[in-house]
Amino acid sequence: MSELEKLRVVAGYEFLKHIRRKRLYVIFGLTLAAELAVLIGMPTLMDGYPNSVRVMAAMLSIGPSLATIGAVFFAGDAIAGEFESKTGYILFTNPIRRITLIAGKYLACCAAVILLVIFGYVIVSISLAVIYGEVPIETAKSFGLCLLFAGSVLSVTFFFSSLSKGSMGATVITLLCIMVIFPIIDSVLMMANKPHWFMLSTAGDSVATVYGGYEIFLEGVVPTGGMDGMLPFELSTPNIGLMVLAMVIYLVAGLALSFLISRRRQLA
Amino acid sequence: MSEPIVIENLSKYYNKFLALDKLSLKVAENDNVGLLGPNGAGKSTTLKIMCGLIRASSGTVYVDGINVSEKPEQALSRIGAIVETPEFYQFLTPEETLSYLGRLRGMRGDSLKRRIKEVIELVRLEEWIAVKIEKFSRGMKQRLALAQTLLHDPPVLVLDEPALGLDPRGVVEFREIVEEVGKEKTVFFASHQLVEVAQICNEVAIIDHGHLLAYENIAELEKKYQSLEHAYLELTGGVI
Repeated sequence: MSELEKLRVVAGYEFLKHIRRKRLYVIFGLTLAAELAVLIGMPTLMDGYPNSVRVMAAMLSIGPSLATIGAVFFAGDAIAGEFESKTGYILFTNPIRRITLIAGKYLACCAAVILLVIFGYVIVSISLAVIYGEVPIETAKSFGLCLLFAGSVLSVTFFFSSLSKGSMGATVITLLCIMVIFPIIDSVLMMANKPHWFMLSTAGDSVATVYGGYEIFLEGVVPTGGMDGMLPFELSTPNIGLMVLAMVIYLVAGLALSFLISRRRQLA
Repeated sequence: MSEPIVIENLSKYYNKFLALDKLSLKVAENDNVGLLGPNGAGKSTTLKIMCGLIRASSGTVYVDGINVSEKPEQALSRIGAIVETPEFYQFLTPEETLSYLGRLRGMRGDSLKRRIKEVIELVRLEEWIAVKIEKFSRGMKQRLALAQTLLHDPPVLVLDEPALGLDPRGVVEFREIVEEVGKEKTVFFASHQLVEVAQICNEVAIIDHGHLLAYENIAELEKKYQSLEHAYLELTGGVI
């Protein structure tokens, strides 16, 4: 039996596990709640929807982005869980390479996240079509960037999961990095007018900034007059190509490191 | 190298603690060997190295002539193992779990379904075949662990305290199953239960502090020491 066939088997059953877990549906619920918050909150708090469909599309991109971050919850235990809950005593005594196992688990997580992201973009597209009668072409680009962001977030999660003794540790560390530590570094670099395209949090912003940079995104939350003079630093959106490069680097490096660490890790 | 299990000068350090000290033994085909020893003697460490779960500090284990550290996948294809108290994915049923593990071993289609039914019947889990494992007791998981061990009909069984968590009826049934399948397989079986080992195995290896103290036919040991219990206690420094 080839490793490719084994990979398919692992990915299939790991995906089945995700489908059976409540947390996947919780993230579906959170995605829907985030979109509803924008769809209901904006007209309620800001005298109707923005004039520009792109601004609204950028605002609605919060849902799929949240789904991507939420995926950390079911990727965090992908590797650490095998050691922590002793399921590895069954799985690792099978004739399969660790790299195939990890790759299969990664593909299964990707499949689950893709479902979540598609769900988010279906809501975005339907909402824009109903409210504005059009869906901007950038939505397709945003969808692609969101999938890439999801892949890189999963890779980082797998890296921490391969290092961590417990699933909770891996999940918390990843969330802290992506939602707290990276954005802080990101903000400091931005205020110092230094390049920050290589931060994963910045790269993730591309899902929204693809509609027209930070400025158009922020128009959605600033009532009138845009951002002129409001920030003590220059607000510059990094090049999309550089942000894609950053996400690809996180994706490849995170996955490669998790392969290497998992291969060496012993189940004592 | 005709013996299915060959252990040569196996040593294992956990940091500075020496768990196995140049352990060497060979298990002949269709022999059922009990690995006995006090807690921390090195039994589980030996079995884990055999199953590729941990790496030896030095020395080699061969399964059917295959070096486990060099070609773990090939070696593992010949082994059915229960190591420690294994857990299963809570969200899958026994049928799905066995299907997953069977397919990883190249089994498929009707033959896999047939074999799953056979092993599930063997461990008496028929009524639970489609129930998620999250509802299972410790004993039921041990039964499922035995089922996955036998699923691919491996020539070598590596069992580490496999009856742990089973109720008295389960223990008796388990011993009968291993005794029966062990007639045509090589069984390497770590346990604290001397009665269990005496029932299932024809030979015992007694180890302590990572050293092999004795490796003999049970009948021979009983002749020398009156009983297996006496042999165990005397060799491991216990009081009779």
